[in-house]
Amino acid sequence: MKRFAATALVLALAAALAAPSLLSGAEPLPAPEKIVLKNGITVYFLSDRSVPLVSFRMLVRGAGSAFDPAGLEGTAGLAASLVTKGTAKMSADEIAEALDFMGASLSVSAADEFAHVGGRSLAEFFPRLMAIAADCLSGPAFSEDEFAKERSKRIDSLKAAKDNPGIAVRYYFQKAYFGGHPFGNLAMGTEASLEKMTAASVKNFYAGRFRPDLAVAAVVGGITKEELTPLLEATLGSWANPAGGPQPDTVPPLPVPKGRDLLLVDKPDATQAYFVIGSPGYPMGAPITPDAAVMNTLWGGRFTSWFNTELRIKRGLTYGARSSFESWAAGGVFTATSYTKNDKIGEMLDITFDLLDKAAKKGFTAEEVESARNYILGQFPPTLETNASKAAAYARLAFYKLGFDYYGRYLADIEKVTLEGVDKAAARLMPEKNFVLVVVGKASDVMPQLKKFGTWKERKITAPGF
Amino acid sequence: MRSRIPLRFLGLFVCLGALVLSLPAATFDKENVQVHQLANGLKVLLVEDHGIPNIALYTFFRVGSRNERPGLTGVSHFIEHMMFNGTADFGPGEFDRRMEFLGGSNNAYTGDDLTAYTDWFPAAALDTMLRMESDRMQGLIFEPKVFESERGVIASERRLSVENNNDAILYENVRATAIMAHPYHWDVIGWMSDILGWRRDEVIAYYHTYYSPNNAVLIMVGDFDPAPALSLIRKYYEPVKASPAPPPIVTVEPPQIGPKSVLVRKEAQVPSFLVAWHEPGAREADFLPLAVLTKPLLDGESSRLYRRLVREEQLAISVRGGNQETIDPFLFTISVKPRPGADLDRIEKVIEEELDKVKSEGITQRELEKALNITRTDFYQSLETIAGKANQLGSAEVILGDHTKLFTLMDSYSAVTLDSVREVARKIFQENNKTTGRLVPEGGAR
Repeated sequence: MKRFAATALVLALAAALAAPSLLSGAEPLPAPEKIVLKNGITVYFLSDRSVPLVSFRMLVRGAGSAFDPAGLEGTAGLAASLVTKGTAKMSADEIAEALDFMGASLSVSAADEFAHVGGRSLAEFFPRLMAIAADCLSGPAFSEDEFAKERSKRIDSLKAAKDNPGIAVRYYFQKAYFGGHPFGNLAMGTEASLEKMTAASVKNFYAGRFRPDLAVAAVVGGITKEELTPLLEATLGSWANPAGGPQPDTVPPLPVPKGRDLLLVDKPDATQAYFVIGSPGYPMGAPITPDAAVMNTLWGGRFTSWFNTELRIKRGLTYGARSSFESWAAGGVFTATSYTKNDKIGEMLDITFDLLDKAAKKGFTAEEVESARNYILGQFPPTLETNASKAAAYARLAFYKLGFDYYGRYLADIEKVTLEGVDKAAARLMPEKNFVLVVVGKASDVMPQLKKFGTWKERKITAPGF
Repeated sequence: MRSRIPLRFLGLFVCLGALVLSLPAATFDKENVQVHQLANGLKVLLVEDHGIPNIALYTFFRVGSRNERPGLTGVSHFIEHMMFNGTADFGPGEFDRRMEFLGGSNNAYTGDDLTAYTDWFPAAALDTMLRMESDRMQGLIFEPKVFESERGVIASERRLSVENNNDAILYENVRATAIMAHPYHWDVIGWMSDILGWRRDEVIAYYHTYYSPNNAVLIMVGDFDPAPALSLIRKYYEPVKASPAPPPIVTVEPPQIGPKSVLVRKEAQVPSFLVAWHEPGAREADFLPLAVLTKPLLDGESSRLYRRLVREEQLAISVRGGNQETIDPFLFTISVKPRPGADLDRIEKVIEEELDKVKSEGITQRELEKALNITRTDFYQSLETIAGKANQLGSAEVILGDHTKLFTLMDSYSAVTLDSVREVARKIFQENNKTTGRLVPEGGAR
């Protein structure tokens, strides 16, 4: 789930970038101030008093699920969730009560390349929120009791996910696409890997991987730099670096599908069949990004896209059909996904392949490209409207070293996207021969329609793992 | 609440639904809202806000599943979908194509009490957006082929969100068991046989009954100059004719006179558990103390029920619920995702024990403060965006009957006493007022 939640954010920021013409030349994201704490954390800051709230974001490089110890996938995710479950000073219940009392939130979770810390509170409570955050980060207890509770909750959540084919298909796709690559590690873990974990193994991961010197943070909201600087030094600044040096945090190149890799997951009670198809995309910040964003907008990124038009608007086969690119430092992935009645999945996939082929071979029109440019530009401003979205943008841009003028440059590039560039992006990026395709549905109804697409691996949804 | 486009597909964080009753931010109060009413009855609320170069245009119609009848259940939501499918001036799909060409996007949602059309676009698209919004208020053509195609979309949405979702199936069963007479009996999506059976002439008659300027409120928040914006609104909306007032809802749900329960058997790895009590409507005095009680009972990991069910006894993966802001009395729900194999009787007993404590001892002063802090935080968050402001104003206007209640509610909210919270708990959480629902894996618990 984390991977796809992150996708939504990336999409919001990458696929929706505004027009300089519409913005009258204003920089879409104000340049932040920079505060470097004594333990090495860089904090980017913007004061915004339009509402009395303050948002905090922090990304910790190398602490994501891509760096789970071998055979123990889900360690990063479990470690992150235990950060707020007790310290030397406060029990898990005391932390929860203190946060809830303020109406504040503090969440720690594992993405792929990094761990993510997010907090938000009324301005008057922000000092207390940061004090709790610093206490949690400095010394999570990882008690046996809390470890056991969280682990068994996760095992049961994995079972619950299998009752919802729309969620389950994404887990199956992640496993099928990435296989043994670190991005195949589920942040939730699997039943088998969770059984093998111990409180000590999780604690050990945290101690080595959650490091201030690998963290980048952002604060946006109703507070001044004069108030914030001493507050951060007294809280986050007291989080000590571990004695040893950082552990390796490079991610190997992403796998490239060879031929058609087809998986059917049998869920006998499903009334709809769900599919995800995926193929290679491009790395974060790659020069092809603007062309690809326009291309994806037209193919499957908005309501009137080809994909949604053919499947939903014209044929009423589905409630939604969408495609997206997701990018990391090491590479990216294109995915397209939809769902329909069990007896229509063959027709739906035929149309999908026709549309992919049409994009790659025939391409788009100049009018379509103009429409997609306008759409991306016009939908950009709301993506950076809130304190939390600005803070997330600062942290992300700093993490990927894209520069805080990235969106301004990106907008200018979007305005310059041509039909030729879009057609080239489609020819290069749309999956034709080499892809991974996962279907979750009732096999007895679905399989007869799927045979023509090739040889399918089959598994039952009740089988352990994904 | 059902939306036209799956929310996870939108690259926007849209504040839907939950109307938060709390203090206004200093930057947003009654004086910021210009109120106008056209001769045809259309109410217009304008808020100038130059934070981003965009506009949020929200049109609320006072129609939802509450206005439906057997055979036409789900039709409010269906019309919401059809609103994008063609008028005489703008053919099927033209609304979306033109809007997206100008950099705009939209969604729409249908609830028990209202239907809302939510447009987000760069300021330069205003003229076209007002032209198209006013055109479809009464101009839909319901082209038969498109009608049938959209019927299929809704059927798919129902299969996705109800039939393939165990919690939703249980919810539908519990509400239909708890509510006998009032149209809140059925869910916004409607029954599948109605979806497959809607007749075009009946749908058109329903549309003309409820889609009129005198049954709507238009809210615009964002980067515009109010005087010329109002002129544009007049230009496009004044020609739209008023309709006779829609018929009132006369059915009143009779008091429940004994506990009810419903059992659903379905293939599942994990059971579902839901319990509901009839609760007051959002305009009633008892609603606020109940809203306060929801926070210490259900909000966050420190809440009483989360602590007992998830943390201490480890009977559940999650617990959520609370009261719903509806015009007529609806249901206060507690929804539990049990651990596989958990004892559902024990879950029900723990909930009863916690409610008994509230009935005898009430909540603490600190819990009352916590409820106010959470409410205040949620409210400010909803005001961070032009879309959030538009949604709050529209919801208050339709559900509470007056948008200005948004700016005074915190006074009433702050006036909630510990005694009133205990009193409302005693009134609502009675055995005779309760409906319990269980979904168990086929063949019994395992």
